[in-house]
Amino acid sequence: MPVRSCVLVILAVVACGGQAPAPAPIRFLHTFGAGETELFNATISGSERFAVESSLVPFARGQQVISEILHTATSCPDLIRIDATWLPGLRSELVPSPPDLAGLDWTPEAASLVTIDGDPTRWAVPQSVDGLVVVRDRERPAPATASIDDLVAAARAGKAEPRSYPLGIRVDGYWLLPWLRSEGADLSIVSVDVPGSTGLDGDGAVRALARFAALFGDLAAPPPPAGSEAPDELRRWQAGELAYWVTGPWQLGALRDRDRLAVSPLAHAPRGGQLLVVPRCAKHPADGWKLAAELTAVAVEVRFAESFGTVPTRRSALDAAPPLARAVYEALRAAEPLPRDPRTPLLFDDLNPALAAVIAHDATPDEAIAGVRRAWRRLAAGVTGHPPEGPP
Amino acid sequence: MTKPSSSLRWRVLLVLTLAAIVPTVIVGVLAIVRARADVEREVNRGALAHIRAVGAALDGTLQGARRTVELAAATWADDPDDARRTQLLTKRLRRDVPIVSALSILDAEGELRHGDPVPKGVDVGSHSFGGYIGDAQHAGGKTVVHLVVQARSRTGELMGVFVASLDLEFVRDVIAAARLGDGARVVVVDGTGVPVASSEDVAGRVPGEAWVGPPGSLAGRDPAVDRALASTVEGTLTANGWVSAYRNLSSYQSLRGVRWAILHQQPEHEAYALARRTTRDTLIIGGGALAIALALGVFFATRLTRPLAALAHRADAIAAGNADAGSPIKGPGEIGVLGQRIDEMARRIAERSELQTALARGDRLASVGVMSAQVAHEINNPLTTVLGYAKLLQEDKPEGHPDLAALELIASEAERMKGIVGGLLEYARTPRQSERGLETPAAGGPTYEFNCQPAAVVRHVNALLGPQLKKARATLTSEIGSTASIAIESHSLQQVLVNLVQNSAQAMTEAQARSDGATRGTITIAVKPAPGGIATLITVSDDGPGIPHKDRPRVFDPFFTTKAAGVGTGLGLAVCKHLIATAGGSIEVGDRADGRGAEFRIVIPNA
Repeated sequence: MPVRSCVLVILAVVACGGQAPAPAPIRFLHTFGAGETELFNATISGSERFAVESSLVPFARGQQVISEILHTATSCPDLIRIDATWLPGLRSELVPSPPDLAGLDWTPEAASLVTIDGDPTRWAVPQSVDGLVVVRDRERPAPATASIDDLVAAARAGKAEPRSYPLGIRVDGYWLLPWLRSEGADLSIVSVDVPGSTGLDGDGAVRALARFAALFGDLAAPPPPAGSEAPDELRRWQAGELAYWVTGPWQLGALRDRDRLAVSPLAHAPRGGQLLVVPRCAKHPADGWKLAAELTAVAVEVRFAESFGTVPTRRSALDAAPPLARAVYEALRAAEPLPRDPRTPLLFDDLNPALAAVIAHDATPDEAIAGVRRAWRRLAAGVTGHPPEGPP
Repeated sequence: MTKPSSSLRWRVLLVLTLAAIVPTVIVGVLAIVRARADVEREVNRGALAHIRAVGAALDGTLQGARRTVELAAATWADDPDDARRTQLLTKRLRRDVPIVSALSILDAEGELRHGDPVPKGVDVGSHSFGGYIGDAQHAGGKTVVHLVVQARSRTGELMGVFVASLDLEFVRDVIAAARLGDGARVVVVDGTGVPVASSEDVAGRVPGEAWVGPPGSLAGRDPAVDRALASTVEGTLTANGWVSAYRNLSSYQSLRGVRWAILHQQPEHEAYALARRTTRDTLIIGGGALAIALALGVFFATRLTRPLAALAHRADAIAAGNADAGSPIKGPGEIGVLGQRIDEMARRIAERSELQTALARGDRLASVGVMSAQVAHEINNPLTTVLGYAKLLQEDKPEGHPDLAALELIASEAERMKGIVGGLLEYARTPRQSERGLETPAAGGPTYEFNCQPAAVVRHVNALLGPQLKKARATLTSEIGSTASIAIESHSLQQVLVNLVQNSAQAMTEAQARSDGATRGTITIAVKPAPGGIATLITVSDDGPGIPHKDRPRVFDPFFTTKAAGVGTGLGLAVCKHLIATAGGSIEVGDRADGRGAEFRIVIPNA
């Protein structure tokens, strides 16, 4: 081939290469924690296979922000990481997951997170399973059973002195759930037996709240300032103050000597997880599912499990995960999912302040539960708190 | 023939150049890299410090506002139906929190109970953990953010919601108070990348060809904004010619839930100006140092190799047999020493060459001498017979006989021939002493006197040659300054002095002849101690025409003469040198001290 032709070919190739349109980045809105975010940015987001434009949404405002974005359809992401409790409320804004993803080897607990109330439609890809378990040092005896009473008994046996607090629980409605459920109450505003009632209508809720609140100052330390619960628990565990720590896998990644941990189930503990969903407004839904598949690839799930104690959602990843992640998974199998109701996440808005008021001795359990019932009934009546449209 | 040492010069130059370039380049590169890293670190540190300062100010203000509103909400929740108390509360709240531009109080059902209408789109009932600070809103030329706080009673029951619009003008004030570097800017963006406040107008600074988000959003247009919104930790990013430091405000405890981010951005050429100056200075200084080093390298290489080239030339000349060529080679250190050694070698080679030449000539002369002695010995006897018969025939002839003249001529020529033969025999005669003090007179042979008194010899010579000198219109004077005995046979010294004086006399006679006898010459014999005191110096000088320089090297050669043919034998000075050398002394010729006439200087060891 003549030199001139070669030069022309080379110039053409270079010109074509320089003008080739760059693939549109996958817009990913997520609620990862700090460490998970940095791992994601350093690996998948920066890889050659994916051009990702990710944006962090703080978990505390996640449901609200995501709802606003999907409602206005501006800056619509291609993939969103949400809490499993948000799925019922966002369902109408989502597209079902493709069949090829549905056929992967999901664990039953993970698979149950992506469907709602018997509807076989799969709305998401499960990214992790979480919930509350009891963590202890492996040298310490496990509670006799998974019941709350045995957990309290074990903690009391581990109480070394009057001012020690061997039990790690948090002033949060999520932690209160096992106690509520053990007394027949639940996190619901539609009672199975009496339509329009709430799961707190019986006396069990008051008893549960009283029992739970009584632990603080006895077996559990007085609560720290709001917002500092997680670091306070971590500090106390690292200091060896906690014998039995009721927590979730999201806390385990920060622990040293994870090989020394043992995990036990807690009866009636809540179980949930994190999901990857693609909204209807997504410009590149296929790319969104592609990134979802990558995030739930066996190697990625194992890496997240090794780094943060995240419980994998696929059987093959679980088999390759560290023992701690497998132990958490086994403990969570006995846990109970939260009600798949769009209003479930909102219930904590009222339950948490009531719980805090009781533990602070500002209210009796009766007063607090009564207030929560009123709030939940308002919610059941459709009063969402959205004001009438006003001037911008 | 040896080639000029240009290749050596280039090799030396190469070595010196490498020795200069390598360290200079290494040091220069290290300095540049180090300076760049240091400046980058300092730029990033400074930018992050700006961000923290702005973030802390922002956080402090918002945190104070939030706490005050939360406190007001909790107070209001205890008695939400007391309108007057609510009015006082809101008045105090606006006074204590001046950034509150609007305030709404809703009841638990979401109905407005007090204050301003709730802005459109504000969510007061969603899952928000008791309240939140929303994204920035831009309206009416103002940028505000909505603070939503749930008002709960003592028992934790929801009684209402406070919605406060916070004017973010204070953010601009905080940013304006920051002392920014050249071209630097601080930008606060909300969760969608829309600038909330900045130190300058950033709208439209970045072409927005690919963005489909909210108007004015920098997300997708500025990589640093994307990185800031996607990250949970502070960091830095250099992209699109800007050095950016960023921090997501959700990292501030009191602002959990806030999706804002703060960025400090500075043009790369401004941020790294110091590094660029350092690089430039390093290149200039390094280049200058390199140039100087190269110049010095050329200079020293040339200086180093020039003597080597001279040495090579000298070696070539020596090889060509010209050992005396060139001036002494000078050079530094070992090269100078080498030059000296080569000069010394050349000198010795020349001496050896001369010596070999002299030896060859000496051998020839010795052969001539031996042959001459043999010839002289053979001729001497018949010559004596010829002379005797010539004398007899003269005596037999009467006066006036016509043959007398011929006989007289035969006799005189025979006499002259006998003198020549005698000179040859004298020259060939080898005294048996070879070294002073070792001589032992042979039994029956001539005796040798080695305690010669030069003064006595001089007086004897004066007396001996007086008449002859008078005839030649010359005066012989003597200056006796030493009475030391000298180690030479008196007869030999006398012969030497007589020879020299006669030569002077003849030279002056010829000069007088050329000047028509108008002048009268003086010959001086001086005896004085030689420098060092172990020898005696005897000079014979005259005020004659002197000896030409060209003749001086050969005046002591046998048969060399400047006299007319038949006047001299050419053996006188050769015999003199032979006698003096045999005594261990030396004789040389030169000009008289005053430059007039010749002077022979004889040094003979003292006895």
